[in-house]
Amino acid sequence: MSERRLQLTKGNDAATKGALLAGCQSFFGYPITPASEIAESAAAYFPLLGRTFIQAESEVAAINMVYGAASAGQRSMSASSGPGISLMQEGISYLAGSELPCVIVDIMRAGPGLGNIAPEQSDYHQVVWGGGHGSYHTLVLAPASPQEMCDLTMLAFDLADRYQNPAVVLTDGFVGQMMEPVSFPPAIAPPAPPAWSVTGTKETRANLICSIFLDAEDQERHLLHLQEKYRRAEMTEQRAESYLTEGAEVLLVGYGIVSRVLRSVVDQAREMGIAAGLLRPISLWPFPVHALREAARLTRRVVVVELSDGQMVNDVRLALDGSCSIELYSRMGGVVPAADELLSLLEVAQ
Amino acid sequence: MSRGNVQFREDECKGCAFCIEACPPKVLRQAERLNHYGFHPAEYMGEGCTGCGICFYCCPEPGALTVFVADGAAATAGGPKSKV
Repeated sequence: MSERRLQLTKGNDAATKGALLAGCQSFFGYPITPASEIAESAAAYFPLLGRTFIQAESEVAAINMVYGAASAGQRSMSASSGPGISLMQEGISYLAGSELPCVIVDIMRAGPGLGNIAPEQSDYHQVVWGGGHGSYHTLVLAPASPQEMCDLTMLAFDLADRYQNPAVVLTDGFVGQMMEPVSFPPAIAPPAPPAWSVTGTKETRANLICSIFLDAEDQERHLLHLQEKYRRAEMTEQRAESYLTEGAEVLLVGYGIVSRVLRSVVDQAREMGIAAGLLRPISLWPFPVHALREAARLTRRVVVVELSDGQMVNDVRLALDGSCSIELYSRMGGVVPAADELLSLLEVAQ
Repeated sequence: MSRGNVQFREDECKGCAFCIEACPPKVLRQAERLNHYGFHPAEYMGEGCTGCGICFYCCPEPGALTVFVADGAAATAGGPKSKV
């Protein structure tokens, strides 16, 4: 039988395996809870497949190593958590400005500062709204299961290549740590370096990877080109899952582990006769405005649940533009609400 | 008429899929729904179970599943007998 096996896999390990199956050739990173298993499994598996693994001296070094490998036309990646992603922001800005593809995985923990190692969703601002300097975006995908840690990491490499831009796989420590059966797709071989890359050959001698345009009008032209890419991505790369949103009177919005809990909340609410639905963003940039507007069409009430001080809620407000009431339910510090707590939100307002 | 039957205690199952992988006639699958603890529990597809018990032996959770198997006597007496 050609049916694929199910393998019980930790989310973080599924991301590494997905990257390898997508032909990723190099991993440069540094350990940080709750992302460390990505680096650990990369250290074990990348050399076995003839790929490169380097534990950099810091996350600043790691992202610059990614910059180098990406310039040479390799599928390259790093992974970290909030504090490490903060360190990478300059590098990410450079990668975007230089039109280099790469994949960065952020497994979010409580912040700001050292915080703790429990799950949060508070890097949304720095990842989706650009924690680095300048007018750029990163494509952002949000897994909610180990299977999606594999699938969306693989998709991230494709998107990064398609738009010649960094792509981020963004989720919370819960999804990074949870173990579920994963069906791994067949591997693809690492693709050949693209024509624009710098590989030390005579043919690529004239190629230049840089983000500097000293003449202001040249820089503006470059930025308009980046903007054109981002507009294209906004039109074609929105992704979301709608669960029981048909005719929903109250629409719940959440991603990562929150979306798992909200799914149970919707099931329990429906059993109690409350017409609840769930819109789960899968792409955070571009934000799935089309799916959200469609899901919220008949609703009186939207409740955004986040493990932060309220970051994604602003994108929901922008998308719905005052068309219905939007509430935020926020837990922070690593506290993850269970279904009962969230169900009581729906019961109160009925 | 299947020789065996598998019953799951849904909230004891942690969705590891060991039983699904190990089942020789492939009559088990993961449910779309989430159980009380947020796992996708395993479920029996309804027919084809041979009562071999391999799922029981690979399940890491005590009491998550029970395998029933018919032998000659039990079949005539009206049903599979417990194999737990």
